[in-house]
Amino acid sequence: MSVSTAAPSRAVGLPLASRLAAFRTEGFPTFPILILLVLVFTAVFAEFIAPHNPEVGSLSQRFKPPAWIAGGSSTYLLGTDHIGRDVLSRLIFGARVSMIVGFTAVIFAGVLGTALGILSGYFGGWVDQVIMRITDTWLALPALTFAIFLAAIVGPSEWNIVIILGAVYWTRYARVIRGEVLSIKERDFVRLAIVAGCSKMTIMRRHVLPNVLNSAIVLATLMLGVVIVTEAALSFLGVGVPPPKPAWGLMLADGKKGLMAGYWWLTVFPGVCIVLMVLSANLLGDWLRVKLDPQLRQL
Amino acid sequence: MKRFVLRRLGYAVLTLILLSLTIFLFVRVTGDPTVLLVEPGASRADIEALRQDLGLDRSLVVQYVGFVKDVIRGDFGRSFYYRTPVLELYLSRLPNSLLLAAAAMAFSLLIGIPSGIIAAVRVNGWWDSAGKIFALLGLSMPSFWVGLLLILFFSVYLGWLPSSGSGTVWHVLMPAFALGWYFAAAHMRLTRSSMLEVLGSEYVKLARLKGLPEALVISKHAFKNALIPVMTLAGINLVLMVNVAIVVETVFAWPGIGRLIYEGISFRDFPVVQATVLMNGSMVVIVSLMVDILYAVVDPRIRYER
Amino acid sequence: MRLARTTALLAALALLAPAGSTSAAPAGQITWGVHISLAPTYFDPAETPGLITPFMVLYALHDAVAKPMPGQAFAPSLAESWTQSKDGLVWEFVLRKNVRFHNGEPVTAEDVKFSFERYRGTAAKLLHDKVAAVDAADPLRVRFKLKKPWPDFLTFYATPATGAAWVVPKKYVEKVGDEGFKKAPVGAGPYKFVAFKPGVELVLEAYEGYWRKAPEVKTLVLRVIPDEATRLAALKRGEVDIAYSITGPLAEELKRTAGLTLKPTYMPFTSWLVPVDQWDPKSPWHDKRVRQAANLAIDRDAINQASYLGLSRVTANIVPHQMEYFWQAPAPRFDAAQARKLLAEAGYPNGFDAGELSGDMIYGTAIGEPAANYLNAAGIRVRLRLMERAAYYAEYGEKKLRGVLYTGSAAFGNAATRLETYVVGGGRYVYGSSPDIDGLFAEQVNETNPRVRQQVLHRIQQMVHERAMAIPVMETAFLNGVGGRVDNHGLNVITGFAYSAPYEDLTIRKK
Repeated sequence: MSVSTAAPSRAVGLPLASRLAAFRTEGFPTFPILILLVLVFTAVFAEFIAPHNPEVGSLSQRFKPPAWIAGGSSTYLLGTDHIGRDVLSRLIFGARVSMIVGFTAVIFAGVLGTALGILSGYFGGWVDQVIMRITDTWLALPALTFAIFLAAIVGPSEWNIVIILGAVYWTRYARVIRGEVLSIKERDFVRLAIVAGCSKMTIMRRHVLPNVLNSAIVLATLMLGVVIVTEAALSFLGVGVPPPKPAWGLMLADGKKGLMAGYWWLTVFPGVCIVLMVLSANLLGDWLRVKLDPQLRQL
Repeated sequence: MKRFVLRRLGYAVLTLILLSLTIFLFVRVTGDPTVLLVEPGASRADIEALRQDLGLDRSLVVQYVGFVKDVIRGDFGRSFYYRTPVLELYLSRLPNSLLLAAAAMAFSLLIGIPSGIIAAVRVNGWWDSAGKIFALLGLSMPSFWVGLLLILFFSVYLGWLPSSGSGTVWHVLMPAFALGWYFAAAHMRLTRSSMLEVLGSEYVKLARLKGLPEALVISKHAFKNALIPVMTLAGINLVLMVNVAIVVETVFAWPGIGRLIYEGISFRDFPVVQATVLMNGSMVVIVSLMVDILYAVVDPRIRYER
Repeated sequence: MRLARTTALLAALALLAPAGSTSAAPAGQITWGVHISLAPTYFDPAETPGLITPFMVLYALHDAVAKPMPGQAFAPSLAESWTQSKDGLVWEFVLRKNVRFHNGEPVTAEDVKFSFERYRGTAAKLLHDKVAAVDAADPLRVRFKLKKPWPDFLTFYATPATGAAWVVPKKYVEKVGDEGFKKAPVGAGPYKFVAFKPGVELVLEAYEGYWRKAPEVKTLVLRVIPDEATRLAALKRGEVDIAYSITGPLAEELKRTAGLTLKPTYMPFTSWLVPVDQWDPKSPWHDKRVRQAANLAIDRDAINQASYLGLSRVTANIVPHQMEYFWQAPAPRFDAAQARKLLAEAGYPNGFDAGELSGDMIYGTAIGEPAANYLNAAGIRVRLRLMERAAYYAEYGEKKLRGVLYTGSAAFGNAATRLETYVVGGGRYVYGSSPDIDGLFAEQVNETNPRVRQQVLHRIQQMVHERAMAIPVMETAFLNGVGGRVDNHGLNVITGFAYSAPYEDLTIRKK
């Protein structure tokens, strides 16, 4: 839950000193980028890395512990789940599912939100009114409630989850981008373009969009974590990515029952994967925020 | 100023009307509640009788007009599942939700503010990283997992805290932590950026020039000013917490509004969902309205924006 | 031996002790961790929705003219006896003397008549249509006059199929109204209403004037804990004494934990899969051999072991064994090789694409997911599609779903009612039917001779089995945990009932 939602509009433009301080503060996020690269690599080459079929198992092999624990075997390095499926293979393919869900949802929300934000900010007037009233309404509708609703309406599938998450979170972009556009509109290069007779479409595409892109990218990095965690929460509530698809959130929710019975590997491994991914995305986002767009630092 | 407030007020009312229409339509798209109120083997006659009883056989327009009329009179209808007035249900859960949100907020600020200050003051130090990672960890771990781990450790293994329910201070601790931790990162970020901003201001520079000790400058001059936006955000988040507590309330069997909404959706209990979403939505709208007005009072420039 | 005799003597003394003495007064408390949200509708038998759950509360607060009790399907309760007239048109119930509601008013024939007439829960229309009149002949005598002989009268009146036999005090209800009654219910059951927070907690207290016996345990608390893992944690920590619905690995853990016992109960609850595409002549499922192959491809015992610790009953019939007119099908077999052979004979040596296997989130996961795993292994390629429960049954009822469907039913009744809903043409969940089965079913509807009726209903069940119209999986057990403080927990004492009952028999261990 990013708090940007209703964050008060604050004075734009920071003192130069603090901007400089901010530049010095954050080192290059080597570690987060490395982790994200590894995850992307895993997701892309899942077929070649995974030792087993992630969606098929045998009940006779269920709840095998990881290889280094008594009772484990080297066939299933990270153990097996309640249906006897290989946890490692599910994690590897899960990287793909979670990445696809995460990235596409963020992009979907980003494109929709940014487009509406630019339209709203640039045109103003009744266009702005309509878009902003819808945004307000959306924001007053609690995200998780809304997501459960949509899940109940459209039914569960990987792609529906993407649509749901995108439909829930586009408002974050719309609000921020609109604010940006309002200030860009007053800048000289836009005024010049208007005087030069450029069409509204051209101005929005050539002059406004490139200038809000930074904010959109920063926001997207931060939203990635929110989306992944929301996806897990939806699985817990029974409306997430449907089984037997391997998604980390679903694995975590499924494995929850085994936790008390001592089958810790069913939650710990997917949990760690989620934490690594979300943490990396956030650290990267924090860094980008300072680098690309100091004005957004209150996000 | 008066025009600004009136306009904002108009927006708020418009938002609520849109919200009521949205939620009214959404619940009805989710499907027929009657199939849930009977065993799957029930006969068609039983189901038809129930639909009539619940007023679902009327047209959508008639249902919506009736709903709005009732709401204006302060009547939010009766729950399909509990068969009691929704307002009664809502009000019986509200204190629990507010208590949980307040306790969660305390945890969240307890983690967020110190780590934010450290991040602003001791840049790139060990404490900075540790604080930042701890705050971000709360954002990264799905709260049902945190909740379950807490229960396993503090209730089952150590036996210190009750696993679920409400009633004593001990009951609040674990759900409040699980919920508050998630918000800690946001408070950390804002504390940090407003601290940096204030620390760079002329006013703090002046204090430094006067030769005041750094600790005093930070704690008295900088922190006090940096706290204002953080507390504003905390106010907004307090309302959000009431809304997002669904998962935590389910794990800890905490009798708050989140569970009411979730059960409402699962049972297709239209009146419950309509009322809770509308009431919670009003809270969000009212708090943002207050914040907007407050900021307009503080900073007159805002009145002409938007 | 000597000890035993002393105990017996003490017990006898306790019985002789005058009322109000401390030794006989109910004491202690039992707390339940309940899996579903309790609603005030559970306090009023008139609103029984055809689900078993309200009876969890009804057995405590109220009493019925007749109801299922340990060892008896229709046990005389508020009625001490009844008779049926020769023509089958009149049922006469004789009420027990000196039975009083919690507010001190006597239970009379008027109350029984009133309760029946105000009943508006499931099957209310059916009951009211078949019963011509209810007469309170005298304060302790009630006559039900039927329009036509109805062999299933007691099955509907005196079981959890309806709540019509549960008696509420007429005067009180008329005074406080339906709403007032749900806020402060008064009944004739072994426990009195104390406090209720909707969806959170219900507190009950012993009613010492209960006709059958005074309860031993003073306070009962039913606490709602929605998450399964949390329920087990609460049981382990002693916050609750009985935790309902614990499955899979959590049940294993429960079984392992010293001091806790795993107690399965059995409702008339069967789980099965239906290839609804069988009615489409172009579908591979139209071939009986394919459906038989699917029946052979699933290792029901392994699924039972994995999800229910082997405590469910694997079955080859969609009608559960507790039901009247149940037909015992041959035990189901698991034979993957034979399944493949049958598929090859049907023309699918390499298997076929069988579409989606849909189910609701709860049982679809526990049973549907492993079943899909087995079907895929045999070459019947299904894609699992789990939906939220509400959406699932809505689409199922509207016949929007294709492929293979998970079905589960715990609806009360008998073999005829179960077949009517799931097999006979026109049933709510019936995609297609055969004229011969429909014809046979119509034959028995008005049949008063139970033996003839049984023959026909057995024949239908046999036909469903031989044609492999369904893939029955198991009679699903309901697993619960019991903590160390409880002595008599009342689980699995009444046939077909899922929860603790009768409450007046429950005891806790003496320190």
